[in-house]
Amino acid sequence: MRKKGILFAALAVILSGLLTGCGGQSQTKADNVIQVGTNAEFPPFEFQEGNGEISGFDAELIRAIGKAVGMEVQITHMGFDAIFEGLSRDKVDVGVAAITITDDRKQTVDFTAPYFDAKQYILVPKNSNIKTLKELKGKKIGVQAATTGEAVVQGVFGKTYEGIKAYDETPSAINDLQIGRLDAVVVDSAVVVEFNKKLGEGKFNIVEDNSLPVEQYGMAVKKGNKDMLNKLNEGLKKVKENGEYDKIYQKYFGDHK
Amino acid sequence: MEWNWSVIVEYQELFIRGLWMTIQLTVVAVVAGLFIGLILGLMRLSDKAWLRLPAVAYVDLFRGTPLLLQILAVHFAVLPALFQDVLGLPAPDAATSSFIALSLNAGAYIAEIFRGGIQSIDKGQMEAARSLGMTYRQAMKLVVLPQAFKRMLPPLGNEFIALLKDSSLVTVIAVNDITYAAFATAKNTFVRWPPYITAALVYLVLTLVLSRLVGYMERRLDPNGRKG
Repeated sequence: MRKKGILFAALAVILSGLLTGCGGQSQTKADNVIQVGTNAEFPPFEFQEGNGEISGFDAELIRAIGKAVGMEVQITHMGFDAIFEGLSRDKVDVGVAAITITDDRKQTVDFTAPYFDAKQYILVPKNSNIKTLKELKGKKIGVQAATTGEAVVQGVFGKTYEGIKAYDETPSAINDLQIGRLDAVVVDSAVVVEFNKKLGEGKFNIVEDNSLPVEQYGMAVKKGNKDMLNKLNEGLKKVKENGEYDKIYQKYFGDHK
Repeated sequence: MEWNWSVIVEYQELFIRGLWMTIQLTVVAVVAGLFIGLILGLMRLSDKAWLRLPAVAYVDLFRGTPLLLQILAVHFAVLPALFQDVLGLPAPDAATSSFIALSLNAGAYIAEIFRGGIQSIDKGQMEAARSLGMTYRQAMKLVVLPQAFKRMLPPLGNEFIALLKDSSLVTVIAVNDITYAAFATAKNTFVRWPPYITAALVYLVLTLVLSRLVGYMERRLDPNGRKG
């Protein structure tokens, strides 16, 4: 009997600890903190440093914006898909993850003013003489799933085109292009610049197909969250005016516009 | 929560290709795994160390590391190194990598099932067969293995079902199996429930068919119609 009593007491302590723990967490979502969700596997926009800290163009930009509007910024890596789920469930206030503004996405989230223009580049092996995406008909094209690269290929060859190889992350697609299993990879221009730096320039041909759409990135907030949206837009305007934006841009992309 | 089932129709080709790919992956891995497993299982039972130890090491390696890691390693490291650097040939595609990784993995588990099955048969069976003048090979083939196979069927059924579901891991190397179809549909449309439920139902139907098939074989192989 006594033993049981101790057991229950211990259980009660643990449970109450858990409960207050949960309560504590929701309280930390204070008014002056912007909770940012990102996918820290998309350099140079967002990636994790060796010490676990999230860095990159997006991360520095949102931190600068937070500073400009006098708010603290907390960035959490949650994966690209989870961001949208997190917004709708109020786990995060804003998604900053090189998210392209699309009409489809506008139905689930609201976007800030665009903060980055991204083109799609086609990466092909050195000896390839492909000039446009259309020439890749019947070929295997690697993309990262649910990115603009995939949408662009789907737009030309159909949503269920057999040649689309949608990977979870871009490095795998680039690896398979290197190994020769793919005929091309379609990715964001900024990412290509980064990979070329890592793999050594000149491993691939970068093809710029002018018929491919230019995309704009926006920061996503939960639909109807006007407060946050206004704050972010205000901050974005400020960092563009005070030169902070240009400084960060320069750091990650140089003069490559 | 989005319940828009029309996305399944929109992406049906991915699901149809995925169904076919999952079936192919499972069948190939089951057949190749049985073959690898039989050889390794017999090697493990050998009293010659040079036969036994490699089999032990193989089973330890493939049972002791995650299948996901094995798939990635085979696809991005082992096969490219083997084909391009050693043989000077183009590296095989992702489906081939998947067939190989799944078969190698299944072989390790099936080897253990074979070993356990054979060891469960009373020693007297082998001794009696040998005393009748059969060679070891004959006794194994005609007396021990047929009896052991009956006992191995339930665990083999388990392994086949596990294999069928584990084949979903090949999605990471962009092989269009059922899981890939569900992921692609969900990621492209932001509709979650219908693609996940569709994929789950397809796996459920496939595993049910597989388990009934194994159950049927269990009954067929039992001359007295006994259960279990």
